[in-house]
Amino acid sequence: MKKTNRLFTVLIFIFLYIPMAVLIVGSFNTGKNLAVFEGFTLNQYRELFRDQDLLALLGNSLLIAILSTAIATAFGTLSAVGIYRMKPKLRKAVMSLTNIPMTNPDIVTGISLSLLFVFIGTGLLGQRQSLNFWTLLLAHITFNLPYVILNVMPKLQQMNPALQDAAMDLGCTPLQSFFKVTIHEIMPGIISGAIMAFTMSLDDFVISYFVTGSQFVTLPVKIYSFTKKPIHPKIYAMFTLLFLLIFVLMVTMNLLQLRGEKQKAEKRAKDESKAMRTFKRVAAAACAFILLLGSVLLIATTRQDKVTLNVMNWGQNIADGSDGTMDLIAAFEEAYPYIDVNYSEYASNEELYSKLSGGGLVVDLIIPSDYMIARMISEDMLLPLDFENIPNYENVIETYKNQAYDPENKYSVPYTWGTVGIIYNSKYVDEADVTGWELLWNEKYKGQILMFDNSRDAFGVAQYMLGLDVNTTDKAELQKCADVLSEQRPLVQQYVMDQVYSKMEEGNAWIAPYYAGDAMMMMENNEDLRFYLPEDQAFNLFIDAMCIPACCQEKEAAELFINFMCDPEISGANMDYICYGSPIAGADAYMEDYLAESEIIYPPEEILKRGQSYGFLPEEITRYVENLFLQVRLN
Amino acid sequence: MEFDGERILDGINLYFNDHEFLTLLGPSGCGKTTTLRIIGGFLTPTSGRVLFDGKCINDVPPYERQINTVFQRYALFPHLNVYDNIAFGLKVAKLPKDEIHTRVQEMLEIVGLQGFENRRIDKLSGGQQQRVAIARALVNRPKVLLLDEPLAALDLRLRKDMQNELKRIQQAMGITFIYVTHDQEEALSMSDTVVVMDKGRIQQIGKPEDIYNEPKNAFVADFIGESNILDGVMNADYKVKFFGRTFRCLDAGFQPNEPVDVVIRPEDIDFVDPEAGHLTGTVTSVTFKGLNYDIIVDFKGFKWLIQTTDHQPVGATVGIRLNPEDIHVMHKSEYSGLFGDYSSYSAEYDELTEDADDEEE
Repeated sequence: MKKTNRLFTVLIFIFLYIPMAVLIVGSFNTGKNLAVFEGFTLNQYRELFRDQDLLALLGNSLLIAILSTAIATAFGTLSAVGIYRMKPKLRKAVMSLTNIPMTNPDIVTGISLSLLFVFIGTGLLGQRQSLNFWTLLLAHITFNLPYVILNVMPKLQQMNPALQDAAMDLGCTPLQSFFKVTIHEIMPGIISGAIMAFTMSLDDFVISYFVTGSQFVTLPVKIYSFTKKPIHPKIYAMFTLLFLLIFVLMVTMNLLQLRGEKQKAEKRAKDESKAMRTFKRVAAAACAFILLLGSVLLIATTRQDKVTLNVMNWGQNIADGSDGTMDLIAAFEEAYPYIDVNYSEYASNEELYSKLSGGGLVVDLIIPSDYMIARMISEDMLLPLDFENIPNYENVIETYKNQAYDPENKYSVPYTWGTVGIIYNSKYVDEADVTGWELLWNEKYKGQILMFDNSRDAFGVAQYMLGLDVNTTDKAELQKCADVLSEQRPLVQQYVMDQVYSKMEEGNAWIAPYYAGDAMMMMENNEDLRFYLPEDQAFNLFIDAMCIPACCQEKEAAELFINFMCDPEISGANMDYICYGSPIAGADAYMEDYLAESEIIYPPEEILKRGQSYGFLPEEITRYVENLFLQVRLN
Repeated sequence: MEFDGERILDGINLYFNDHEFLTLLGPSGCGKTTTLRIIGGFLTPTSGRVLFDGKCINDVPPYERQINTVFQRYALFPHLNVYDNIAFGLKVAKLPKDEIHTRVQEMLEIVGLQGFENRRIDKLSGGQQQRVAIARALVNRPKVLLLDEPLAALDLRLRKDMQNELKRIQQAMGITFIYVTHDQEEALSMSDTVVVMDKGRIQQIGKPEDIYNEPKNAFVADFIGESNILDGVMNADYKVKFFGRTFRCLDAGFQPNEPVDVVIRPEDIDFVDPEAGHLTGTVTSVTFKGLNYDIIVDFKGFKWLIQTTDHQPVGATVGIRLNPEDIHVMHKSEYSGLFGDYSSYSAEYDELTEDADDEEE
């Protein structure tokens, strides 16, 4: 019996800690693949400490965790004392109320806090950007408070109430008696509460995601946006360090509790109290230092002698200096030293739309696709551009001007154009099956097919296959598309956007409809991948264009950015990285030859003729399509 | 004083003299701890005033009163050692370090704990903790020291030692002690003045001897020691009638033929031959108590407790004589008829009252 017990314990521990072990081993691996250990290296750690951006993010997370823990611990302890002094019935009621937020799903807490902050900030105070560092801090304090109270309360209840009387009897005011006596009695509770709050704050993603703006992002929130490319091993190194940090904290906490329970020999107690005193002094100094550092950092980051330009772009949609490309943001900042670019990402047009319409954000420049631009124009979400600030507009090839989504070309300047086709893995997919969109409905590849996770592209695929108009407003036709998509549903492994990269590159899925430029990038990482535009069928020809949303605060800087991007040399350098077609005349001269000559990026004229663009759909139809797609996905 | 509308203390009127050892004595829930907490400043009376040196201190918080307390279960600070516990009040008062040191050393000497300065509180015995608690209070040189059942948690032997110790310290330092206990023996042996309380009222105030010998009513007579209490009638001064006989007594000043309670202490009764006795009865139970026997004798259906060194077997017929000084006469009170009947006497009687400890609040 004992043996089986022990066996189960061991099994449970293996089950719990194997994932961490894999990660830790991976952080010392020379290769990128977690499955094969190619050799021991500390390079990942070196790279981690060289990556200023990542360290800054980690700094953000630690800053929020430390500040929110300090504040929540102070307030939580005081609240616990207050609740403790209440009459028993009221105390019970209040305690259950403070416990509810802990059991509340994070997503509910996150969204409700976000709504509240936007309501107060934008609704009542008229701020344009109501989600920022302070809302994030407030949110963390909010969800940390109950943990502190929960840990401190039992210590108060265990305390002999006569101790406070005794302190007052010996001349302490109530406040002095708290600091001279009570706080010592409840210290183990305060410490374990603080450690718990710290760990909760450090690893929170869901709530942070909803309550932070684009200027101040914590590590977990940022990591979520890394899904496009396989995660870089230096992240493993960072996770290993974080895991160790929390592990050490938890062990300390348990040791502290253990010590509280154990009685120690007299001499040791004496030494300890001396050590404890030194420890307290050091801890106090460290706290003061961290607070000071924090405030200095804050002041430094909030000082506004520079203009901040908030650019929101698709994931991996601008050359960033990796793989020998040009770092365009750095180049722009060099050209305009008084402008700081704050860059953030979205995964789909729909996500961008919901972020902007949710309010509370300041975004100065966005790069949505054609149909979304039409929708935003119709909903007054875009500002007309001042073309005097964009002299390079004359470089834009005429074909890409005055498109259906923006007929008078008042709101947008094209950024890239491209096609939507099918990317497949030639190792698994029979060339004979590669004909048209039907490949995505082929039963042979059940469970290996990926599909668009946005309604417009998903319905587009169905419409092109059925030979229907992609801009139709006929509900019967749309219903037919929905039926076809429902038929496809059992074959689909997953509905994806950016995750398509890792799935396809690692061979975990074989077939996916996606954008040509992204397909090129994937093909660079896996030579078995192929891309094609369906024969004899229509396909999507899209344009992504730069626009200025209504919430913009730095319109002139945004227009400078647009102008910068319309420079042939810049646009060409950009295409080297993102692998799309450039709408700028002369850009191909600055692109690498294999790209400029690629048929994937620049398909021959006779194929290109079959391309169709998404146009404007009335609000009602957009909603109708979104609902149909939701039903397809849910059934 | 009222709690939640319930009257806890009623009509308390007490004077404390300087350098006095005064004891509040009473059963659980009689209001003695409440009285102490009012004096200490932890409770504010709903009506009435607390005067200190002639000044009303109702609104003075505990930390500004020249009064210190030894709490029921000591309430020593677990995070501090012996020295720091004792020095606590002096440090709060921000006295110079040298003075703190001398005064703490002085107190350690008084309570006999030299060499224990660095000992942790949870490494001390009950008696040592008790001494630390006393030292911690006295080191502040209060004018009044309040002691709330300070010996209740100690075993019998240690309790006796500490009683002597406390008395010695009180005399040595010349401080007024206000002492709360439910143990009548402790009260009688230590106090200058005993205040007997019950149901939130003072039943009697007096010197220990007076309280014992001249209890004012049946409650006091029963609570302080053992008493046989009988219904009687005061025929005239110095003449009281009970059990159909008139006895000579030392009491006077009653109305003619006033109904009274007659107290006869069990140890004051001596056996005589049945023929020579004022009364004759039958022994129904005998318990050996060490110093004496507790003998229950049935007199005409009324059972008396008699404490004597003469052994009598169960069933024996005995006679007793009562001398005038053995008889104490009291006015009738609300307690008449409730006490002093040993019909349901059992040997565990003593322990029962003592175990009914005292969680007063």
